This record gives sequence, structure tokens and C-alpha cells, in this order.
Amino acid sequence: MATVISPRAKPHVERLERIWTERPGLVGWVTTTDHKRIGIMYFFTALAFFGAGGVEALLIRTQLIGPNGTLLSPQAYDEVFTMHGITMIFLFVIPMTTGAFGNYLVPLMIGARDMAFPRMNALSYWIYLFSGLFMYLALLQGHAPNAGWFDYVPLASKKFDPGNNIDFYGYGLIFNGISSTAASINFIVTIFKMRAPGMSLNRMPLFCFAFLAVAFALLFALPSLSVAALFLELDRQLGFHFYDAAFGGAPLLWQNLFWIFGHPEVYIIILPAFGIATAIIPTFSHRRMVFFPLVALAEILVAFLGFGVWVHHMFTVGFATVTTVYFAAASLIIVIPSAIQLFSWITTILTGTPEFKTPLLFIVGFIVYFIIGGLSGVTLAAIPFDQQVHDSYYVVAHFHFVIFGAAVFPILGGMYFWFPKVTGRMYNETVGKVSFWLTFAGTFITFFPMHIVGILGMPRRNYTYPGGLGWSLLNFIESIGAYILASGLVLIVANLAVSRFRGAPAGNDPFEGDTLEWSTTSPPPPYNYPVIPTVSSPYPMWDEEDRKRDNRRLERGEGLLELGHETPASTVQDAQWDEILSMPSYSIWPPLTALMLAGVFTALVMQHYFIALGFLVADGLTLIGWHHKGVRT
Amino acid sequence: MKGTPAVTRSSAAWSAAAAGRVSRQRMAQPNGWWGMALFLCAEVALFGTLIGSYFYLDFQSHQWPPAGIKPPGVVLPLLATAALALTSLPMLHAARSARAGRRGSVIALIVIALVVQCCYLALQILLFRHDLNQFTPQGSAYGSIYFTLLAVHHAHVLFGIVLDLTVLFFLVYRGLTNYWLIGVRGLALYWHVVNVLAVIVVFTQLSPSL
Amino acid sequence: MLLWWWMLAAAVVVFVGAAVMLVLAWLRRGSPGLPWFGEREDISERMVLLFGIGIPIVVLVVLFGVSDVYMVGQTSPPNPRTTAMTIDVIGHQWWWEVRYPGTDAVTANEIHIPVDTRVNVVATTGDVIHSFWVPALNRKIDMIPGLKNRILLYATKTGQYRGQCSQFCGFQHAHMSMWVFVQSPAAYRAWLANMAAPARPPTTAPARVGEQLFMSSGCSSCHQLRGTSATGTVGPDLTHVATRTSLAALTIPNDPAELAAWIRNPQAIKPGVRMPDLGLSPQQVNALVAYLDELK
Repeated sequence: MATVISPRAKPHVERLERIWTERPGLVGWVTTTDHKRIGIMYFFTALAFFGAGGVEALLIRTQLIGPNGTLLSPQAYDEVFTMHGITMIFLFVIPMTTGAFGNYLVPLMIGARDMAFPRMNALSYWIYLFSGLFMYLALLQGHAPNAGWFDYVPLASKKFDPGNNIDFYGYGLIFNGISSTAASINFIVTIFKMRAPGMSLNRMPLFCFAFLAVAFALLFALPSLSVAALFLELDRQLGFHFYDAAFGGAPLLWQNLFWIFGHPEVYIIILPAFGIATAIIPTFSHRRMVFFPLVALAEILVAFLGFGVWVHHMFTVGFATVTTVYFAAASLIIVIPSAIQLFSWITTILTGTPEFKTPLLFIVGFIVYFIIGGLSGVTLAAIPFDQQVHDSYYVVAHFHFVIFGAAVFPILGGMYFWFPKVTGRMYNETVGKVSFWLTFAGTFITFFPMHIVGILGMPRRNYTYPGGLGWSLLNFIESIGAYILASGLVLIVANLAVSRFRGAPAGNDPFEGDTLEWSTTSPPPPYNYPVIPTVSSPYPMWDEEDRKRDNRRLERGEGLLELGHETPASTVQDAQWDEILSMPSYSIWPPLTALMLAGVFTALVMQHYFIALGFLVADGLTLIGWHHKGVRT
Repeated sequence: MKGTPAVTRSSAAWSAAAAGRVSRQRMAQPNGWWGMALFLCAEVALFGTLIGSYFYLDFQSHQWPPAGIKPPGVVLPLLATAALALTSLPMLHAARSARAGRRGSVIALIVIALVVQCCYLALQILLFRHDLNQFTPQGSAYGSIYFTLLAVHHAHVLFGIVLDLTVLFFLVYRGLTNYWLIGVRGLALYWHVVNVLAVIVVFTQLSPSL
Repeated sequence: MLLWWWMLAAAVVVFVGAAVMLVLAWLRRGSPGLPWFGEREDISERMVLLFGIGIPIVVLVVLFGVSDVYMVGQTSPPNPRTTAMTIDVIGHQWWWEVRYPGTDAVTANEIHIPVDTRVNVVATTGDVIHSFWVPALNRKIDMIPGLKNRILLYATKTGQYRGQCSQFCGFQHAHMSMWVFVQSPAAYRAWLANMAAPARPPTTAPARVGEQLFMSSGCSSCHQLRGTSATGTVGPDLTHVATRTSLAALTIPNDPAELAAWIRNPQAIKPGVRMPDLGLSPQQVNALVAYLDELK
């Protein structure tokens, strides 16, 4: 699509603009159901939580900069490191990848005008926001969760943690889980049913394959966490005994339930990053992804196989050897689909003509750190070795390389990559490169020494450590690295913030991208595509004939779907056009429903059970109100 | 409408007959049906976890149920569950009638299912209270998982009843539009899955006695 | 550790290989296609299969075989018939209770074993989950309520080995360490005999005052001194506390000044610890220290 609209196309475009006008002001944002606005709200909320988690991280590193640190009392330290884990995993990385990137980009990439359930999309956002505020309420009150993000019982039981710290976490997890469950349903139905007619499954961008895999994984993994949290709260509030060995319960039940969720969770964290990488690499390498079908299959396999390996987090609890060996074998198998993707990416860059601009630099950084983190993970599947370094800083190194190095780097690269599309302006390339090198160096300096200090015996979650064990110098280096890393991240945000107002206009397609979002204006109009796009390959923007055909159709007024907020729905596999759907637009019901739910959980944590029930009934009423008009055109 | 094949604008189908036509013309399942199906996948995973936890606690205990607790009676729960499972038949027919555009049949069939489901829930609540007089969830892990598993299941039946009433309400006041036709199909799917889960749950609950 | 060095070597090879490919990609950024082969998509695809499936399968099978089939037996719980003695270690928040079944010996935060002897450690907990770990001697094993996990301790060189709790167990998880002393069999037997003996009566006047204070100020309600009326089991057994090299699970060294500071205000040294401030005067503290110093 040209930025300049031809005179023949103008009346059609104007008609669409009238139908899809955006409501202005705060009311417009609170009642929006537009996936792009929701994506932007997710982005800023997740970024704020990233900042909070980052501050928590800097507090940890400052406390540990030397032996016998006194910045934080053990009580405070325990709350800080627990909130760091909770914030980064539940309130930053998943909402940023699925909520911000996924919401904004998936409908655009499949040629749709919105997600399948726009109001539920808004609901997911508001529940996320309220669940995050709910958990931070605990911190403000001074009793934040303090038993680690994995909250092992009996330490997290009422007997050993009597305040309501853990209750904020238990209820908060269930609350937050509703948001992600709704979001995964939305992604799956969108990807299955809302693709532009002609975009059969094998022509779908790899980014969407990754998000499809993530959505299925979330759907099946979250219930285990919810049950674990339910049992915990029943034990704590009503005196049940799921986890109580003295009454026939099992503390290990918590660990099993938690990790049955927890392991797929880490693949949920990283798969969207793979998706972002598979969007950036072909664009900047100016060639198609090597062995596309195998990469798509590998993405799905990683999600699927991730459900079978959870016991590798529990190699030291005393299970029979045959059990641990089985799970070690299963854990090693996951290396294969990861390695397939890794070498496909590298080979694509190698055989293309890559331009190492900032987004691609972040992806190269991601590849490097994914290899390091992946290799340390493989060593952890060697049971005798794991049984030495489990719960030491070696594990902290491993997961920070794979979570920070391998999941967050693509997020940062993706921020740069799609910044021109979302804002219409270009970021500063030089500052971008500097921000990359600062972040890359900071990550290495902070996390690499942790491998060594872990092998030297430093356990994790210690609020301080004694001198004279060989740990002090390494910890000092790590803390300096953390400040360097923080400065890199601040520079990224500053670069984007300043460029938002002073960057050069970007145009529709500054990078010669391959997927459909680069065909719209920057930023895209509320209706995304004036004409439902024609698609004949996974690289639609490189199919010039199709794009020219779309222009001609626009001029003729064909395929506009402008009798209301309309979008097509197609069949699942071959994307044959099946029906025309009428999408909802502005609605107060999603934020209201989320608010009622927030009331339920707040009343529960304060142990006002009848009030909680009242809010639940109110929630039911808002859901009825939600459906009372059906769908407005 | 230019340049598009003869594709239906489904939300324009306000009458039962039109909604039926739209439903029969569709090649794929409607979005709302998919949404319910995926939600039910999560619920199946939820019950899988609960049932897995039941057997985990069972297998790692020395005596199950613990000393002093009688294994549950078999007859009433099984009969009640059979009755509940049979409500899948009227629900199946309700979905079929909806696709045929017959609003009256749909309402009647849902009401039949609703009555049986309410009786089921009432009986199960009585049995639950009877069990509570014999042993408590605070007395043992067995009690904890027994009552929790049953309570979560009954909550799903209650939620289904609320859904029944909501769908009935809108069928009466809005009619069998395209939207509520999909609603009826979603409701039927919900009950099919809940009924299958009910069978699995009752066999889990009764496993010490079988 | 040998396993670690081999894994590291393999990892370095993989990493360097990938890095070389990336550097090549940068150097050859102007020209498409593979080095030497040019634009051959089929070779690119075969490379992905080789590096993505072929080589990993071989490496992983070898790793699995060596570590999870061959070596894993060495870290499994020892067969009771192959061990010469058993020690019970019970984890508490935030100290280690050590018992020698078959004798009366009970101590805390210090384990003594004879060299060249296979020792079966039975690891349990009195409260939350802890994890018993002496890095130089063996892997770690979790201490879980309701379970009796076992681990082998076997040392071929005498010396002092440090251990610590490695499962987050609350506020002072960071200060829950222990010493394992590996001694000659004769030295070990002497130590054990001493440990099994009841507490020595005080010999000096200040120590006698200290003994009275111990029984009357609340110490005896938490700490046991075998052979006296102090039978508390909330805190560590102090029957032979003067023989220990450190206190409070290796938080402070065992000398009179440190001990006095500890008794005066344990919360200042190990915040969150279960020992309260007893509100004693400096003279009372000195008397107690004098008594405890004689409990050899």
C-alpha cells in the first residue's frame, strides 16, 4: 500500500475511516477493544513492571556486592528476590510477549482486522493490570510474598509463614492465570479462524506458529498452577492438609504441581522470542528462512515436549534413580528441536546478505546467549552434575542466560524493529547500536561469573555470604555488570522515547520486511487493511504481484468489507473464506468485569468471604450484561 | 457486495430460520464454538490435575482412606452421575434443533436437561453434607482432596446451570439469533465435557470402594 | 568434577563453532550463499539437519550414557549393607542436629567421620524443606517432611569440609552451614566417646554461677545439656559446645567474645533466628560464657 492514496481509492478509505473512528481521550482507551491499543497498553504496563523488577534486581546485586552486606535485612531481601521472580515472569515477560507483541502483531500478520474475541482481549489486559496491582499491594503493605517465586511448602504454609504474604501470591496467581487463559483461547481461535482467505497454515508466518504453540502450552499448563495455588490457599485459610505430611499429605505434591506448570512455563517464555527472531532474521538477511517447515515443526515440538520433563527441577528430592534417568533423557531430547531452529537461524543469516542493524544485533546477541544458556541447561541434565549444582548460582546463571539473554533480547530487538511501524518514526541507529553493546556486555558480566561462583559452592537465595570463600570478587564483578546492564536498558528506553517525538518519519516499510504488517501505513489505521489481502506465500510482502493486485482491488472498491466493523473468518487449514463477522467496538464490560474480579480476590485475601461471594455474583451479572446486546455492528 | 464470493454476513441473521441457514452453510466451526472447546481443554487439564493429585496422595499413603474413615457408598453417586450423563441427550438434540432453526424445541430441550441437572446438584449437595458429618477436610489429606475434588465438580455443574438459565433467558427475549445459536452449541459442548468428567470424578471418588 | 571438564570442553567446541559461523556471516555479509558452496539451498538444509539433529543426537547419547547411566549410580543413596555406620542429620530452621544412632552422642552443626569409611547419612527435617550439601564430598540431598532420604559420605583424605543448606528455608538460610571433620579412626573414636559423655560439671566459681543462670534464665527450655536438668530440644544440644569451632551454624567463630555478643543479642548477629534476647546483664553473660567454655 502506498502512503499516498490514489484518488480512486480515496472514497473507499474514507468510508472505512468513518466506520472505524477511534474514540478519543481516556474513555477511548479504557473502553477500547482494538488489538493495537490493547497491545500498547500491555506494552507500557509490562515495561513499568520490568522497571520494578529491575529495581528489585539492582537491590539484590547491591546487597550482594560484597560479603556480609547490610543494605537489606533478611526479611526484606526475601521479599525483594521473591517479587523479582514473580514480577519478571508473570508481570513482565509473558504479558510483554503475548500481550504486547502478540496482540499487536498477530492480527496484522495474518491479514485480519482484529483478534477473534476483541472484548475478551481487553478483559485479559484489565485482569493482568489488576492482578499485578493486587500483588504489588502486598509490597506496599510491607508483607510481600517472601518464600521465593516457587514458594515451596512447608515454608509457604501458614505455620511457617503466618502473615498474608503468601496469600497475595496464591490468589494473585489464580487471578493472573485467568488473563493468560483467556488470551491463549483468543490467540488460538484468531490464528485458526481469522487468517486472510488464501493464507493456508503452511503460508502462515513463523511468528504466528510460535504464538500458536505458546497459546496451547499456556492453556494446558496453567491449570496445574491454579490447582497448586488452590490447594495452598485451602491449606492456609481453611486448615486443609494437601501438603501436610503429618496428616497424610505430601509437600512434594506442591513441587510436582508447580513444576508441571513451571517447566512448560519456561518454554512459554522463550517461544515468542523464537517467533520474534524468525520475523527479524529473514527481513535483515534478505532471504527466506532456511528449512521453514522444519522450523515451524520444531517450534511446536518444543512446546509439546516441554510437558514431559518437569522432574528435572527436582533431581535432589530423593526420587528413585530410574525416575530421574527417564526425565533426564526426556530433557535431553528437547535439545533437538532447539538445535534445529538455532542452526536454521544461523544458516539463514550466513547465506543471506545480512544488514547488522540494531534489531539484528539483538537477535545475534540472543543466539549467542541462547547457545550459552542452552549448553548450561544440557549440563544440568547430567544428573550427578545437577545434584551438585542444583540450587546454586550455576542454575541462576543458566536461567538468566535463557530468560534474559534468550527471551528478553528478542523483545528488545523487537521493540526496535517494530517501533517504526507502531509510531511512524525511526529510532536513532547509532544510539541503538550503543544500547545493544552496553546491554550485551552488561548481561555477560553480570551472569557469566555466576556459573563459576555456583560451582564454587555459593547457594542461591542467600541474603549474604561470608568472605574468604572465593565468592567475593566474582559477586563484585556481577554487581558492576548489573549496573552496566541497567544503563543499557535505560538507554534503549531513552532512545525510543526521544525518537517517538523527534525521529525521522519511517514510512510503511523501512526494512523491506516480509510479513503483511509492513504493507500498512505507520502506524496502521484502526481497520488495519482497507482491502483483505491476497496471500500466496509465507512472505507476502515479497510477493509483488499480490500487493499490486490488492491496490487494484482497493481502487475498484472490492473486498473492502465496509458495511460495519467487519472482518472475514476462514476455515482452519486451507483458509477458505467462510463467513463475514461483525466485530464489537468500544465496550465498558471488559474493564467492569475485571474490576469485579479484582473485588473477589481482594476480599478473599482480606478473608471477607461473603463480600468475595458478592463480588462473584456481581461479576456474573456483568458477564450477562456483556452478552445482552449480542454483537453490535 | 463487490469482489467477494457469496459469503454470509452471519451477524445479520436475527431470525431463527436465518440463523439456522447460516449455521448449515458454514464450513468451519464458528469462533464461539472454538472458544468454548478451548476453554474446556483447560478445564479438562484442571480436572486431570485434581484427579492426578488424588491418586498421588493415594499411592503415597499407607492407608487410603485413613483409619476411621469409611470408603464411600457406591449406589447413589453412580445413579446420580448416570442421570447427569444422560442429560447430554437432550443437549445434543437442542444443538441439532438450533442448527435447524427450531427455537421452541431448543427451549424445551434445555429446560428438560436443566431440571435433571438441578435434581442432580441437589442430591449431590445432600450427599456432600452427609459425608461432612462423617469426616472433614481438615482431618486428613484424604478429606481435603475428597471434598475439594467434589466441590470443584459441583461448582462446574452449578456454573452450567447458570449458563442454562442465561441461554434460556436470551433465547426467550432475543430469539434464536446467529449469536445465541452458537451459544446453544457452546452450552451443549460444555455439558458433554462436564458429563464425561462427572463419570471420571465419580469413579475416582469411589475408587476405594470399587 | 571430571564430568564437568568434559562437558565444558564439548560446550566450548559447540559455542566456538556457532560463533565462527556468526563471524563468517558478518564477514560475508555482502555475498549471499554459503562459503565455498555458494547458493545451494539443499546444502543449507542438510547443514541444518546435521548440526540440528545429527550431531546433537550423538553428543546427547554420549552425555546421557556417561552421566545418567554410568555415573549416576555413584550418587545414588548407598545400599545399607555397603556402609559401615549411620548418622542422622535433622535440618531445622537454621541449624543442623546431628545424632549418632547406637550411642548417646548428639551434637549440632559439626559432623565427624572417620576417613576411608562409608557413612550412611539419613537426612530428615524437623520443620521445612532443607538440603544437605557438602560440595567436596558428594551431591546434595533434600530433607523433606515425611521422607527419610539417604546419602553417602565417603572421604579418603582427612581434613575439614564445609557444608551448607541449599534449599531456601527462610530468613537465615544464608547462615545455615556446617563443618564435616574427617579424622583418623582413632581420633574419631575419641571424639565420639567424648560426645557421648554427659556434660562436665563446672569447676570455677564464675562457671558455677553460669550453670545456675543457664537453668534459670530460660536457656534450658531450648537447649539440652545431657546429664543435667536442661532438656530443651528447640535449639542445638550444647553438651560439648566448647569443642566446636564455630557457633550458630558457622555464623560466628567459637571464642568467648563472640559467644558473649551472641548471648547478649542474637538478633543483631543473625536477624530472625529463633533465640530471643534474654535481657541479661553483662556480668550474667560473662558467667554463662565461663560455664559454656568449660563444656568440652
